[in-house]
Amino acid sequence: MASFNVHVTIENKPGISDPEGETILNDLVLRDIHKTVSKIKTAKMLKFTIKEKDKKTAQSKVQKICDEVRIYNPMVSKITIDVFDA
Amino acid sequence: MSLESQELEELKSKIGRVPTSTELQIVAAEWSEHCSYKSSKRHLKMLPMDGPLVITEKGYDSGVLDVGDGYVVTAHIESHNHPSAVEPYGGAATGVGGVVRDILSAGTRPIAIFDGLRFGNIEKDKQARWLFKNAVTGVADYGNCLGIPTIGGEVEFDECYENYALVDVASVGFGKRENLIKNHAKKGDVVVLMGGSTGRDGIGGSQFASDSLETEDRSAVQIPDPFIEKLIIEAIIEARNEKLIHAMKDLGGGGLSCAVSETAEALDIGIEMDVDKVHTRESDMHPDEIMVSESQERMLIVTSKTKLKKLQSICKKFRIGCSVIGSVKFDNNVHVKKGKKTFAKMSADIIANATLLDLPSKKPAYLKNISKEKKFKIINDYSKIMMKLLASPNIASKIWVYSQYDHEVGIRTVIKPGADASVLRLDNGKYLSVKIDGNPKQCYINPREGAIGCFEEACRNVVCTGAKPIGMLDHLQFGSPKDPEIFWTFLESLKGLTDFAKDFEIPCIGGKVSLYNETPAGPIKPTPLIGVLGLIDKKPLIPQKIIEGDCLVIVGDTKDELGGSEYFEYIHKFIGGACPVVNFVDSKKNMNSILDLIQQQIPKIAHDCSKGGLAVAVSELCMTNKIGCKVSLDKIPGDKLTDERILFSESHSRYLLVVDKKNIKKLENILKKNKVSFQSIGEFSGEKIQFVNDTKSIIDLRVDKAHKTWINSLGDLVLHA
Amino acid sequence: MKVGVVVFPGSNCDRDMFHVLTDVFHLDAQYYWHDKELPKNIDAVILPGGFSYGDRLRAGVIAAHSPIIKDVQKMAEKGIPILGVCNGFQILVESGLLPGVLLKNDSLNFMCEWTDLIVENNTTPFTNQFKLNDKIPIPIANGEGKYYADDDTLKKLKKKNQIVFRYGDVVNGSSNRIAGVCNEDGNVVGMMPHPERAVESEINPIDNKPSSLIFESLLVKMGIKN
Repeated sequence: MASFNVHVTIENKPGISDPEGETILNDLVLRDIHKTVSKIKTAKMLKFTIKEKDKKTAQSKVQKICDEVRIYNPMVSKITIDVFDA
Repeated sequence: MSLESQELEELKSKIGRVPTSTELQIVAAEWSEHCSYKSSKRHLKMLPMDGPLVITEKGYDSGVLDVGDGYVVTAHIESHNHPSAVEPYGGAATGVGGVVRDILSAGTRPIAIFDGLRFGNIEKDKQARWLFKNAVTGVADYGNCLGIPTIGGEVEFDECYENYALVDVASVGFGKRENLIKNHAKKGDVVVLMGGSTGRDGIGGSQFASDSLETEDRSAVQIPDPFIEKLIIEAIIEARNEKLIHAMKDLGGGGLSCAVSETAEALDIGIEMDVDKVHTRESDMHPDEIMVSESQERMLIVTSKTKLKKLQSICKKFRIGCSVIGSVKFDNNVHVKKGKKTFAKMSADIIANATLLDLPSKKPAYLKNISKEKKFKIINDYSKIMMKLLASPNIASKIWVYSQYDHEVGIRTVIKPGADASVLRLDNGKYLSVKIDGNPKQCYINPREGAIGCFEEACRNVVCTGAKPIGMLDHLQFGSPKDPEIFWTFLESLKGLTDFAKDFEIPCIGGKVSLYNETPAGPIKPTPLIGVLGLIDKKPLIPQKIIEGDCLVIVGDTKDELGGSEYFEYIHKFIGGACPVVNFVDSKKNMNSILDLIQQQIPKIAHDCSKGGLAVAVSELCMTNKIGCKVSLDKIPGDKLTDERILFSESHSRYLLVVDKKNIKKLENILKKNKVSFQSIGEFSGEKIQFVNDTKSIIDLRVDKAHKTWINSLGDLVLHA
Repeated sequence: MKVGVVVFPGSNCDRDMFHVLTDVFHLDAQYYWHDKELPKNIDAVILPGGFSYGDRLRAGVIAAHSPIIKDVQKMAEKGIPILGVCNGFQILVESGLLPGVLLKNDSLNFMCEWTDLIVENNTTPFTNQFKLNDKIPIPIANGEGKYYADDDTLKKLKKKNQIVFRYGDVVNGSSNRIAGVCNEDGNVVGMMPHPERAVESEINPIDNKPSSLIFESLLVKMGIKN
């Protein structure tokens, strides 16, 4: 068993609008001269610390938790999971 | 698409050919139950919709009432049941958005929001708690961001809503009569789509609302953007003030399909539009998708070419999208093009006039014996029962909900949430009182009397603030109309509401019908939700502090009517019994007497008896004012009843009045003159809520303990269960 | 004597504030849209409450980049009285005109309720008619009203008398129950509660006189009243 840091990034599924990202892009960033920025998406990240036997198990365990406890609503959002050694 | 095969045949014969896929999408959206009301429209005509204060304009989604001095009030109610059951935050939030835009499209500024929320058993069901919590946050986030106060509503839990949600939102607007949009179109006028961009949101949404939840359509999720909605409100008010709007319609269920065809039909014009001109969020959207997309926060405006420039500059100022998507024609067609190619061309009349169904109805078998009671276990400790009731989700204080809503913004809120009805001050020195009420428990056991009961209860609530009811909104929510038994309950409720409205001369100024509210477990209980608007000419009755020695008076008879009561259903887990029935004559006498008394400034507080009966109503007065009261059950006017029946019967037309001793004689004279049933039943003092029968103590509770339980229960349940 | 009410996309309480300034206190007030300039002869500036830019990213941060904020900064340097209410306070903090930061309430929920403010500094243009420790019944309505400053900043605020209002009770977890602060010069004040909602007895169920003194103080400062 080892300790792992698992980062869960929650963001809206493609095709689902992201009004916050659009406002930050259009009213804050593009207002200045940073016109090379074409898109900003908002996301939320949860960082789990978990003890499992290996990275693969850590990832699947966290995925299971997120699905069961409804960390994200699959109707609207998708999650990306990244695992790091603690 | 969900055109039934028979409807498809009908369409083919009406247009004399096979429809294109775009035409099919447009008609399927507009002929869906949600948009066409095909199951109910034939019968809704029975509701009285006229009155001396009612103003009618073509193409309006909201009802309009004249409140004097050149001012009007608009009102509308909407539901977002299916989306909220799947994604409660977005569903509830976009529900607020939709109803607010309806108010706006009449040309009035929205000044208040009300929400009716119903879920399953939140004590046992984690899913119900999740839905509830998120729906409340959805309403809060959206309404607060708009700066429109959410000042009233209802929260109820019942097992019939398991895995489901009823999210009803109502809104009220205010403005000058001269600023109402008189929907019309002139030759050469252009059609503008303003607001959010069009994406693939909710494709199939309104059709989805007409299927039951088994066939989950995932793309029916709608993302709320209250910021852009706020900008739309300000832009439209400015455009209205500059007289730039000839006609306006908000886009809701069915998206562009419904907005364009309904506008064309109402104004008796044709609209030719080009989907390439629609500002979209995603590239390569097919015309079909553009026509049925339910992207939120969009308005359709008809204006002249000369006024267009000004409208565009207003939209630019508020940084909202504004596309000229089409023009007004004087044929009667809805003509959808993509560039030069025609994708749909049909008569607006055909699209907007789905064949109305004439569905069969049959009295449900379960109603045959429903009014029979069964024998219950004898209860010894009514104090314990009281504490249980005060902690129960349907009776506990809803402060956890409404303290998340900004109810002060707009500085009109004179009577705040938590009272019988909230009251807003209007610009002409008058006041508006609004309440929404539903009671599925009573409506299940007696659809007619239950519906009338909801209507009377909403009236009682506004009357308690000193307001005279001037208009009603009805939201009729039932299961599948294709089930003759369910359809029967729909008709009975409708007839009941119609009878009451006619007798009391309270016109129906708007409403909605939401059918097919079913889950795999079955249909919901009949849930008509009634909103009543009341007008106060002089001053509202703002509850005053109760002090030692104040008297408690009850107006109205208590009857043997425990059917559908919280006592029967929550404590004894029994569905059945005698449903409370409104006696129209007594109801009217009582209402007028209360208004009379309030006008003469006699009561300090007027509070109606409803859920939980007399026991809960008295307790609410004591807990809110942190003072005790001793009530003599033997003095309660009405039928000769056992203690439990007096305490918990939810008979209608009853009011509690808190009166300064020095005004008792005056009160008695007025009530005697009006031949109203009433009695002094107690006095306020001390620290205990006590109900006695002669010398026997029936209930004995400490006010502070009861208050603590009542105030904290709902929040504790949601956050810590 | 002119008071400017700055309006951002998403401001909500501008009309409420305007009504109080003009109908209740009979001041000459005018709205200024966020991308316009403030006239050089303005006598006071108010940034009202609301949800500028939908509170996206952080409440007040996008509005703080508005063109008009440069003018507000100039006015601040000139010593003109400036009041930021709720979102206005958040904007002043994000634009660097006031110290500290406003975070999510401890309850993580939006809170709309009446509470008491205690006056801690009675020398600002908005508090000169109060006595120290006067109590003001006033409503709050916010989701991000928790004032936070690190220990060094808090020490400095106390030393330089920059704490203007404190909550009478623990309300949202604000450091030292701070409900409002001012800049070092004492002419720029930010407060989370809404005074414009408390000055009329019809909608103030408790006592509208204390909150009225906030505006009376401005009248005195502007030389309109004694």
